[in-house]
Amino acid sequence: MTPVITETPTHVGKRIKRKEDPRMITGTATYLDDIKLPNMHFAAIVRSPYAAARIDRIDFAAALQLPGVVAVFTGADLDGVGNVPCGVSLPGLRIPDHSILAKGRVYFSGHPVAVVVATDPYLARDAAERVEVDYTPLPAVADPEKALEPGAPAVHPEWPDNVAFVHKQENGDIDQAFAEADVIVKQRMLQPRVVASPMEPRGAIGDYKSAEGALTLYSSTQIPHLLRSIAAAVLGVAEHKMRVVAPEVGGGFGCKADVYAEELLVCFLSRKLGFPIKWVESRREHFQACSQGRGHVDFYEIAARKDGTILGIRLKLIQDIGCHQQLLTSLIPTLSVLMLPGLYRCKTFRAEVVGAFTNCFPTDAYRGAGRPEATYGIERIVDILASELKMDAAAIRLKNFIEPQEFPFATGTGLIYDSGNYAGTLNNALDTIDYAALREEQLQLRAKGRLMGIGIATYGEICAFGPSPYTPAGGWESATVRIEPSGTVTVHTGISPHGQGEETTFAQIAADELGVSMDDVAIVHGDTAVVQYGIGTFGSRGTAVGGTSMFFAIEELKKKIVKFGAMLLDSDEVQFTAGRVVCGKTGNSVALAQIAAASYRALKLPPGTEPGLVATSFWEPTNFTFPFGAHIVVTEVDADTGEVKIIRYVAVDDCGKLINPLIVAGQIHGGVAQGIGQALYEQMVYDENGQILTGEYTDYALPKARNMPWIESSHTETPSPVNPLGVKGVGEAGAIGAPPAVVNSVMDALSHFGIRHLDMPLTPEKVWSAIQGARS
Amino acid sequence: MDPAVLADCMPGCEQLVATGNGTYDMKMKVGLAALSGDLSGKIAISDVAPPVSYRLCVDGAGRIGFFKGDGELLFSAADDGTGTLISYKGEVHAGGTLAGVGQRLLDTTARMMIRRFFEKLVTAVKGLH
Amino acid sequence: MICQEFDYFAPATLHDALQLLSDPGARALAGGMSLVPLMKLRLATPEKLVDLRHIPNLRSIRRKDSMIHIGAMVTHYEIESAPLIGSDCPLLAATAAAIGDVQIRNAGTIGGSVAHADPAADYPAALLALEARVELTGASGEREMAFEDFLIDTFTTALEPGELVTAICVPVEEPGSGVFYQKHPQPASGFPMVGVAARLSLMDGLIGFARVGVTGFSGKGYRAHGVEERLIGKAGSEAELLDAASVVAEGVQASADIHASAVYRAQLARVATVRALRASLLKAG
Repeated sequence: MTPVITETPTHVGKRIKRKEDPRMITGTATYLDDIKLPNMHFAAIVRSPYAAARIDRIDFAAALQLPGVVAVFTGADLDGVGNVPCGVSLPGLRIPDHSILAKGRVYFSGHPVAVVVATDPYLARDAAERVEVDYTPLPAVADPEKALEPGAPAVHPEWPDNVAFVHKQENGDIDQAFAEADVIVKQRMLQPRVVASPMEPRGAIGDYKSAEGALTLYSSTQIPHLLRSIAAAVLGVAEHKMRVVAPEVGGGFGCKADVYAEELLVCFLSRKLGFPIKWVESRREHFQACSQGRGHVDFYEIAARKDGTILGIRLKLIQDIGCHQQLLTSLIPTLSVLMLPGLYRCKTFRAEVVGAFTNCFPTDAYRGAGRPEATYGIERIVDILASELKMDAAAIRLKNFIEPQEFPFATGTGLIYDSGNYAGTLNNALDTIDYAALREEQLQLRAKGRLMGIGIATYGEICAFGPSPYTPAGGWESATVRIEPSGTVTVHTGISPHGQGEETTFAQIAADELGVSMDDVAIVHGDTAVVQYGIGTFGSRGTAVGGTSMFFAIEELKKKIVKFGAMLLDSDEVQFTAGRVVCGKTGNSVALAQIAAASYRALKLPPGTEPGLVATSFWEPTNFTFPFGAHIVVTEVDADTGEVKIIRYVAVDDCGKLINPLIVAGQIHGGVAQGIGQALYEQMVYDENGQILTGEYTDYALPKARNMPWIESSHTETPSPVNPLGVKGVGEAGAIGAPPAVVNSVMDALSHFGIRHLDMPLTPEKVWSAIQGARS
Repeated sequence: MDPAVLADCMPGCEQLVATGNGTYDMKMKVGLAALSGDLSGKIAISDVAPPVSYRLCVDGAGRIGFFKGDGELLFSAADDGTGTLISYKGEVHAGGTLAGVGQRLLDTTARMMIRRFFEKLVTAVKGLH
Repeated sequence: MICQEFDYFAPATLHDALQLLSDPGARALAGGMSLVPLMKLRLATPEKLVDLRHIPNLRSIRRKDSMIHIGAMVTHYEIESAPLIGSDCPLLAATAAAIGDVQIRNAGTIGGSVAHADPAADYPAALLALEARVELTGASGEREMAFEDFLIDTFTTALEPGELVTAICVPVEEPGSGVFYQKHPQPASGFPMVGVAARLSLMDGLIGFARVGVTGFSGKGYRAHGVEERLIGKAGSEAELLDAASVVAEGVQASADIHASAVYRAQLARVATVRALRASLLKAG
């Protein structure tokens, strides 16, 4: 029988404040830069100002002269360390050499050319400025579309076409679908690069102890275990001699689910020099040399019947790869293809992804990683189709949704959607916002010359990564649950939370399952020397996979608890409930703490049972989970300035069962903020020479508190059948729903001008220019 | 007019060494409110067709980044015949920290530098007559 | 980010501060909202920082006859919230309230902003419309001048080396006048792409007095005299406001950057002018 979670929860489902917060808001949490090790030295990196150049000469004599500077290394000194790894295998994938310091040539503005080590970070930075590097600038290309044009500067001379890979996938007879269609609409759409911008930038400390041959890497990472395996291999350190510690991590948004040159560099330096080396990323470096999100040029074509039935979708996707392959760079756009049809029944599609090398830092996972891009594309093209057919934006979606009785639903892209009620969330959102009245109001305002728009976006996502055959590393997750002799509980989880609040949500689950107080549960994570091997936190997998593995470890423990309870009560008719083993016959009971004490004291043991109360589970999901939702946004556009104001934001999300609605709300709010940022403000701008033009927050526009609307957030709960918790994952939902909802809303406001599409971000000037163009 | 006069009019130019063929090695100090930085680079004056036109290329690099300017100066008689009209066109590219964090200021600053250049040039030209 | 090494001084008197600032490698530190970010990026590398925060008479706001005298170290938040400025110079209070965010307003000072002469600072619009005066103090004594003359160019002022801005003087608003600051912020930095400050007063239902200051639009803030002239003697109909605003950018070279082209800035300047005038007119009476 499949185990189920307790039917009488006292913690799960409640709005409980995060256990993590007191240490963060009192400034007592230990982030990477708070770690101080004896004799620790500091690295400063000399970075190329050019996006493409030959390195002619590096002279660091002046740097070495500064008192306190102990060493300078360049690409010529990298013995015993391999390349920054690529974790993706695709047929024909081109993987450029990616050494941790440039060797003879630089490929992006910010490319590490040399590293200075000094006794304090200020000195290291002073010395780095004294390193003289002569470059011969080379032609560069920063635009992925231009990179693929004949005659474009070659990012890597050995691959003059700048093609990193071509990935094709199709299903059904797409040509027939287009031949039979009553209407075909096409649209080119850009999804510019965005910067991940976690509050805490990256940082790493390498600490090599030569006597033991042991290496510890402290890193602000989302994947301590994978980082250990990879770094050990690249550095040639035996894995059992390597330890990775992820201290408090101040956000990641995917950019820390990666392995970076700097992480390997501090290890290399510590091994060379014999003392710990710290490097902390500056904001400037975050813009230069941390993986960025999106970077799509999409060409969508959709074929439909007059009644709005979608018959087929074609997509040509150019992914801006950047100059190297980071860990999952080339995987991300293939996820967009898997999610191509969104929530719609249509199974016929053809997709071609071309990865284009550019003289920029690589793209990689960023909140949603491939799914927001896919959702944006399908939700925009469906809106454009609706307006072409003069159909209502809600009606066309309701017409094409997969219906609740069709689950599990096999998509044309090879996924099995687990469960859903798509019309349910959309209708809920339409009711909440009073859609019919709003359309009426829109007409009245339009008559007065005011530009109000209503934007609908529905989304699905692939979460809970994932079955191992479909993921680049294992897709399982691990947990060890220990009942300590006093009856308190310690959980070691293989995930690595960095803002998701699992110290709280896992404690809620464990407290309910074991019948203890949440205060008696500690969730431990992030240190490979303490926690059994795990995979990490990304792809909205923490609770759905990590939480489930904890649940199964507890299930295993419960069997042992019952055995000890039976022994102590001297009865076979016992059950474990609310933290006690109770005898059904006598009503006598024994508390978990007594059982724990007995199990460790071990004066007497149940037959065939070992002392102690510890269990470990490595749980492998059989499928992904597929959360979904509907977001409706009302905007008003200032016709004279192009400025966009969000008037209302309604989000109805279904992430399966809610463990902690307060934390879920936080995830939705944060995701929506980032999604609004992408829709209206954020864009990494490079000039034609690959120079960064938005290298700080003075020019790169993150959404501010004053830009945020009130978010009317609610939920439907369609439990996932994939895991016994019924959870699906919610970390990325807001960032997926918001961009198309906001852009659809603004486009709706402008629709009567005949403006069909504008690319993100919808800056005031872009919107105003479009209105001007339409009026003249 | 000596092409060196043009080079000498570069704002913040502290040192200029002729290296032949109309090229000069230059040291420049950029000082603008709190902002400051040293740049070293080259000035090349080419396509000299006195007194009608010059091509001026400036290339500077330093800790704060680099810039590259390529422009043409045209001298013509003013329509009303009372003086000389100097017009210019060209492009300026910046890179490094200068470009990455100075977007908001580059345009106004470049315009000011050009303005200062011409003010110095006018003074220098007047001095010659 | 990590700045270059510098010596830090926090003198208790203006005299000591000026003495320290006679060193060409020294720079005055007011609120630090412009200087410190530049130092972090190593775009500014002063050898000495002279912090003015402990000089007591730079922090006062007082009324002297028909003028309000604001010490250079008065913060934006203090200007935004001081009852005296709120009642007697509401345009300056409204402008201060539009600057950056709460943290910036709590630290940044009017003297620092004025001395820095950022072409996109908020204050110049209001200070020009108010015909404000600037008080400067140097080793050779005090002098004062019109803010319009003080502002020379992008990041360039009439300050002599070693001289400090010690106060800003703005007039007490006449009863019955209407003022407004209309700002269109650049979404990243919050600096105005264009900001327009207007002051109007009516005589017998017609505009008898008009001052319009513009910031963010070009290399330095300016008074839109053309707009002011067109308003005088008008009742302020929508058509008249539009007509006046149409000349706001006349003869001024618009700045252009990745956030706003020159053409768009010109549009924003017209729109902001109309809106600032309209709102001022509503308040005038």
